[in-house]
Amino acid sequence: MKLWHSFIKELKLSSRGFYFYIELIMAIIILTVVLFAIPEDFVSKDTEYMYFDLPEEMIDEYRADILKDDLDGKAEYVDVKSGKDVFSAEYYETDKKKYYVVKSKAAAIQIAETERPLVSAVMTLDDTGNVHYKYYLQGYETERLKNTYLVIHNLDINLLKEEVDHQVVRSLSTDYEKLTDRENVIPSLLTFNGSLMGLFIIAAYIFLDKQEGIIKAYAITASPVWMYLMSKIWVILLTSTLSSFIIVVPVMGLQPNYLLLLLLLITSGFFASSLGLVIASFYKNMMQAFGVVYLLMIAMILPNIAYFIPSWEPIWIKVIPTYPLIQGFKETILVNGDTTYILMASLGFFAGGMLLFLMANKRYKKTLAA
Amino acid sequence: MIKKIGTLFLRDLKVNKRDFLAMYIIIFPVLFALGINLLAPSINDTTVNLALIEGENPDQVTYLEDFARVEMFKDVEAVEKRVAKRDNIIGVLPDGDDYYVLQQGNEAEGVVDFAKLLVTFYEQDVQLENTNAEIIELGRTVPPLKKLLVNIAILFTSVLGGMLIALNIVEDKVDRTIRAIHLSPVSRKAYILGKSVIGVLLPIYGTAVLVWITGFNDINVGQMMVIVLVSTILSLLVGLIEGLNNDDVINAAANIKILFLPMAAAIVAVELLGDKWQKFFYWIPFYWAYKGNDAVLAGGATWQQILLYSVIVLGLSSVVYVYLAPKIRKGLE
Repeated sequence: MKLWHSFIKELKLSSRGFYFYIELIMAIIILTVVLFAIPEDFVSKDTEYMYFDLPEEMIDEYRADILKDDLDGKAEYVDVKSGKDVFSAEYYETDKKKYYVVKSKAAAIQIAETERPLVSAVMTLDDTGNVHYKYYLQGYETERLKNTYLVIHNLDINLLKEEVDHQVVRSLSTDYEKLTDRENVIPSLLTFNGSLMGLFIIAAYIFLDKQEGIIKAYAITASPVWMYLMSKIWVILLTSTLSSFIIVVPVMGLQPNYLLLLLLLITSGFFASSLGLVIASFYKNMMQAFGVVYLLMIAMILPNIAYFIPSWEPIWIKVIPTYPLIQGFKETILVNGDTTYILMASLGFFAGGMLLFLMANKRYKKTLAA
Repeated sequence: MIKKIGTLFLRDLKVNKRDFLAMYIIIFPVLFALGINLLAPSINDTTVNLALIEGENPDQVTYLEDFARVEMFKDVEAVEKRVAKRDNIIGVLPDGDDYYVLQQGNEAEGVVDFAKLLVTFYEQDVQLENTNAEIIELGRTVPPLKKLLVNIAILFTSVLGGMLIALNIVEDKVDRTIRAIHLSPVSRKAYILGKSVIGVLLPIYGTAVLVWITGFNDINVGQMMVIVLVSTILSLLVGLIEGLNNDDVINAAANIKILFLPMAAAIVAVELLGDKWQKFFYWIPFYWAYKGNDAVLAGGATWQQILLYSVIVLGLSSVVYVYLAPKIRKGLE
């Protein structure tokens, strides 16, 4: 009951300040950006440039091959800028790639230099009358990728396509619904906006109270320190939950498992704010704590890289708490998300948060008594 | 006046030193740079990751290692377990005389296609020595991802500069130092300039350290300086406004968060969005700063381009300034 009262009091206090509203306004801004500025699918296509130094009938064959996959089934004639020069080219776009066929070898090489496409290729006939491929690469490509380029035309392209299509693919699970690119940014935003900011904001709250002497005043009241700390955390949890829902509901509709989302938001927010409390207990003001907070936030942002590049996932990145958090948020908004994963992550955050909270409580008791 | 500005700067430096901030400021860019050096090579190394059974077909393993990163496991269950983990790795498993590709089900199409291609290569006995192609390298050794990380780190240090200004000013307010300054012969202009010095020096120092440690040694230093200085003006402005308009740390902290959003949006726009979406981000000064940095780091920037971006950033900043100047004046009172 006392806890409830001090929570309500904190809430009233913070609703008088700017912060509370900024948090909500930010959520609305983020929502607007997600809905209107981020396209549903924004995969950028790789670009390849080609020059055929071949007899006309062979070029026609290549053209026909590319046209098979072209989105509108016909070539466009465009100008390609390269430094100060402009080259005319035929342009083809498939659902995976963009192809430009240029008119000279010099153009292919110069564009490789200036535009840095995935690859620029020149096809010629060798002495035996076979096609020879020359690839202009940037130089930072890995050995493995270069090897693939070297052998990709060893087989006849149509034979290769046929054989690849014959490969049997089995899937561990078929009920994966993929997220659109727009939906895919949600877990990352939730992690940053909600949970991570909790750390920053609660530290700021504590320093404010320290400066105004509120924290000392608490020492002579009847309520224990942990209630004071907990009521702060609740305010943070309320704002971050509210702002997270403002973002998630309009974008995801009824798809997410909101109960699990709420659980993960609360436990991870609890963890982050307890961490913030512990950090704040070591410093006198924001300036002193700033370095540590900033460094922590950068470290916490790193798992985003692994989230957006799924082929890259070193072991150490999984140790950073935001890794299970981002993945957990992803599971909550997926159809058939992994409930066990979310529950385990929530449990982990709750346990970690509890430990940190106990530690913070101990430290503040000591400082208040002093 | 110059002397007063210098004194204010030295005072900030002293205060910040007491708070270990000076140390952080010096160390952060170094940490960023070292981190990037550690991260970049491993991220760049990505064709496809494959999981195979150990000892089942050593010949195939040796073959595939030329084209992909291969991990080995003791049996089918172990491979399945590995594939089920959260990252992208594709299993290649025997089924009678043939092999099949095992995916988890949520991988991008391109990843699975690549694995299928490699399995086909092996089946068709496609050998490197029979190649009918040659590769000519243009001698660039810095992968695009490293450039991206360095660019982000540069923007971060310039935002950090803004944050420092804001926090320094708020601190003055809370400690009531600002009232004392009003009574002193230091003019408001001198106060603002003095407070800004640290926010200018940090991005310059940070950028230099970042660029140097990460090995971008042959970039055009002049162009880089222009872009850094111009983007510094922006973070200065934001730092001052935040600092002067907020009376306590909590509001300043919440406001700083707003700084990160347009920055993140600008980076996402340049790196991920197609041409037709770009115009929605023209209003963000960070967008132009990022593009400018990118061109300079890539080594292909023309002065024309750099000056154009700089003028745009300056223009946008002055719009913000004109709009907010009355507030700044009020904030000082």
